Amino acid sequence: MDQPTSSLTRRDLLKLGGTALAVGATAAAATPGTASAQTPKHGGTFRLRSHVAPVHFDPHQTIAFSTMIPLSFAYSRLVKVKGGSAVVPGTQPVENDLAESWERQGDTVYVFKLKKGVRWHNKPPVNGRELTAEDIKYTYERFLTIKGNGNKTVLEMIDKIEAVDKYTVKFTLREPNAWFIDRLASTTTWIVARESVEQHGDLRKPESVIGTGPWMLQRYEPNVRISFTRHPNYFVPGLPHADGVEIILSSDPAAGFAAFLAGEYDFGPEYGMVIRRSDLDVAQGRIKGLGTRDYIVLFGGITAMKIDQEPFKDVRVRRAFAMADNWHETLETNAWSMGKGLPNPLIPATLKEWSIPIGQLPPEGRALYEFDPKAAKKLLAEAGYPNGLKVPIETTPGYGPDWMDAVQVALRNWKLAGIEGDLKLKEYGAFVTSAVFGKFDKMMLTLRGLTTDPDNYFVNYMPGEPLNSAGVNDPKLTEMIKLQRRTFDEKKRRDIVWDIQRYASQTVYYAYGPSVSAVGAWMPYVKNFGPNIGHDYGGRLMVAWLDK
Amino acid sequence: MRRYVFRRLLVAIPSLLIASLIVFSLPRLLPGDVVQLMLEEKAYGKDLEDLRAKLGLNRPMYIQYVEWLGQVARGDLGESLWTRRPVLEELTRRLPISLELGVLALAFAIVIAVPIGVLAAIRQDTLADYAMRSMAILGLSVPGFWIATLCVLLPAIWWGWSPPIQFTAFTVNPWAHFAQFLLPAFILGIASAAAIMRLTRGTLLEVLRQDYVRTAWAKGLRERVVVVKHSLKNAMIPVITVLGIQVAQILGGTVIFESIFGLPGMGRFLFDAINQRDYPVIQGVNLLIVSVVVLMNLIVDAFYAFLDPRIRY
Repeated sequence: MDQPTSSLTRRDLLKLGGTALAVGATAAAATPGTASAQTPKHGGTFRLRSHVAPVHFDPHQTIAFSTMIPLSFAYSRLVKVKGGSAVVPGTQPVENDLAESWERQGDTVYVFKLKKGVRWHNKPPVNGRELTAEDIKYTYERFLTIKGNGNKTVLEMIDKIEAVDKYTVKFTLREPNAWFIDRLASTTTWIVARESVEQHGDLRKPESVIGTGPWMLQRYEPNVRISFTRHPNYFVPGLPHADGVEIILSSDPAAGFAAFLAGEYDFGPEYGMVIRRSDLDVAQGRIKGLGTRDYIVLFGGITAMKIDQEPFKDVRVRRAFAMADNWHETLETNAWSMGKGLPNPLIPATLKEWSIPIGQLPPEGRALYEFDPKAAKKLLAEAGYPNGLKVPIETTPGYGPDWMDAVQVALRNWKLAGIEGDLKLKEYGAFVTSAVFGKFDKMMLTLRGLTTDPDNYFVNYMPGEPLNSAGVNDPKLTEMIKLQRRTFDEKKRRDIVWDIQRYASQTVYYAYGPSVSAVGAWMPYVKNFGPNIGHDYGGRLMVAWLDK
Repeated sequence: MRRYVFRRLLVAIPSLLIASLIVFSLPRLLPGDVVQLMLEEKAYGKDLEDLRAKLGLNRPMYIQYVEWLGQVARGDLGESLWTRRPVLEELTRRLPISLELGVLALAFAIVIAVPIGVLAAIRQDTLADYAMRSMAILGLSVPGFWIATLCVLLPAIWWGWSPPIQFTAFTVNPWAHFAQFLLPAFILGIASAAAIMRLTRGTLLEVLRQDYVRTAWAKGLRERVVVVKHSLKNAMIPVITVLGIQVAQILGGTVIFESIFGLPGMGRFLFDAINQRDYPVIQGVNLLIVSVVVLMNLIVDAFYAFLDPRIRY
């Protein structure tokens, strides 16, 4: 599992232009090209586009993906998500990075043996010295203690970190947590150098980016580009294949697509290295042999209702709202999906190892995904609203026109069931600082899809969590969520996670919109590249090469 | 003249003060709190008051305003709330890019508009006049960002070519640096050109009906002399006035054009700052824009004397 919270902020979602509804075709229609049978070629520079500049470069002072993506080229962590064309998008297979090996001792102790001879980038003040267990200890102690680290929850189960010897690190957890290794593979847990922090005060400046990763940050021109050059002493022999990486910062989507068609970028220009499905024909017509692969994105809509207030105290009303929403139509009206995508249960469908198939839900749960305004109307009548009802609904146009299209589809279909939505649009900045934290009147529509960690999607259900905007306090559910965290047997844990989703589909504390199927795209000369969810661009490109 | 300029500069001070009050208070009236936004990206809802105090946003607004004004008077526009980088330093880096774009756009506007306006006036009510006026209306009514998007996208779809959208610094490649401004400046100049063209035509027609022009015709002077030497200069006074106003419009237009063409100028800086509620940046950029507009209008006023010898300050 690539990790949790680092991902998108709501601001980032805004910048994505509300693509969130996006599709998700499943099929791996790729030109999978890719590589396995070929001999890797060295040299060249990968060119990719980012529509947003990094907030800054300190991974412990932001959760912005615009920071984590560039850092994925320069830093390493103990374990990482595997890259390459063979990896199925939506899966997050974990492999060792700086760790030579690791073992769990009991339920709460993890011991990591580090690879020997790992060198930091040869930049002052670190000057290419060898990485040791003290660096790991320093990094995670900073991670957990520095003020303002929004990702602290990722590793807050850690009680103690010890550098047992030069190459051995021991983690002791407060309580068992089966997601610990997945969380260490997160794109927030980069190992940083103490000397750099001490020299610069923090890691916000580009010159403070000194890691052990495959490329070194060479130059940052604000709002223009970020350039990386190969780390000559990278600890994996033969990697990376490319000599450099250049991230072009260009905020206009049309200009981004034009530059892609003109061969200025090696990968799809949108977030996630994808292109819009509506642009696919044009791109394939212009670029012969274009590599593509469909995959379901993490984003999707979420409807939060105040469950301690009328009319949403009654589960039949909540159910009626879900049943009167037509996810097929939502996908059909979305330019990114053009009808392709999947409905989401509690865990987003793209996390296919953990998301329960809709067909496995109980009958009441399955019914939520079968558009049926008549049945919804009947439910409302049973709940005491035979003439329908009028509800204020808050959202923001800040997620962009695609999002507002989806909102309009929902409003129209709700009307068929006798529900009149009184739409209250809030300015983006105001919305993300109030409604998403539960400050709304009756009902709120927003986007989710911040993390690749299934466990993180349960925060909406945990009492006391700021993002529990519906105000859920269900002891049975809380206990189930805690139980899956304590369950190491993956099959048993999956069973519990599926049970949670079954239970959630019956209680309908939240209703979920679909996710679109995006089209990952790359130039024909890029080999051994496989798109995936998450922000480990560096990990994916490290094993890819240019065959020009 | 000196006295006039001095007097105008004195008048500019209250203008700038009023503008400073507006640019200071308006961003704070927007819904959405920068401190909440920052915490939303960091630690959910914790240390709200602490961060507010750290950023100096916990004091009464008038005290913040007076302090900011004092800083500005000392040449310090403050620091970005997000990056902690000095606003002035960022502006120094970005202003030349926006100015380059703006000046080129204005140059295009003049080069396109004045000859066409003159031609439309001297060929009044001919097919050419109608065609040129129609073009002007089209230029006024079609949004510049739409034309820009098409100019970027269509060549890429048809021929696999797109204009440069990666910024090249002058020191790296002077020609590439200049070339990347040509298309955005041309498109940005079109809307202004349309307005200037219509005004040039209208004022020139009026001048051409003056007695002294009729006298010039009666003397048997050639058309070029009558139009260019005797009429155009007088017709230019209102056009020059409008040019001053167009500067503000063009500077506003840079916000979108810099985004489309990947130019790291002031417009993009302002756009990001508004989204982030980065008050010092919003204040700094707007104050600078106001100052540029005030200065441009001062230059325009001073230019009147050159165009019309009867005007004395």
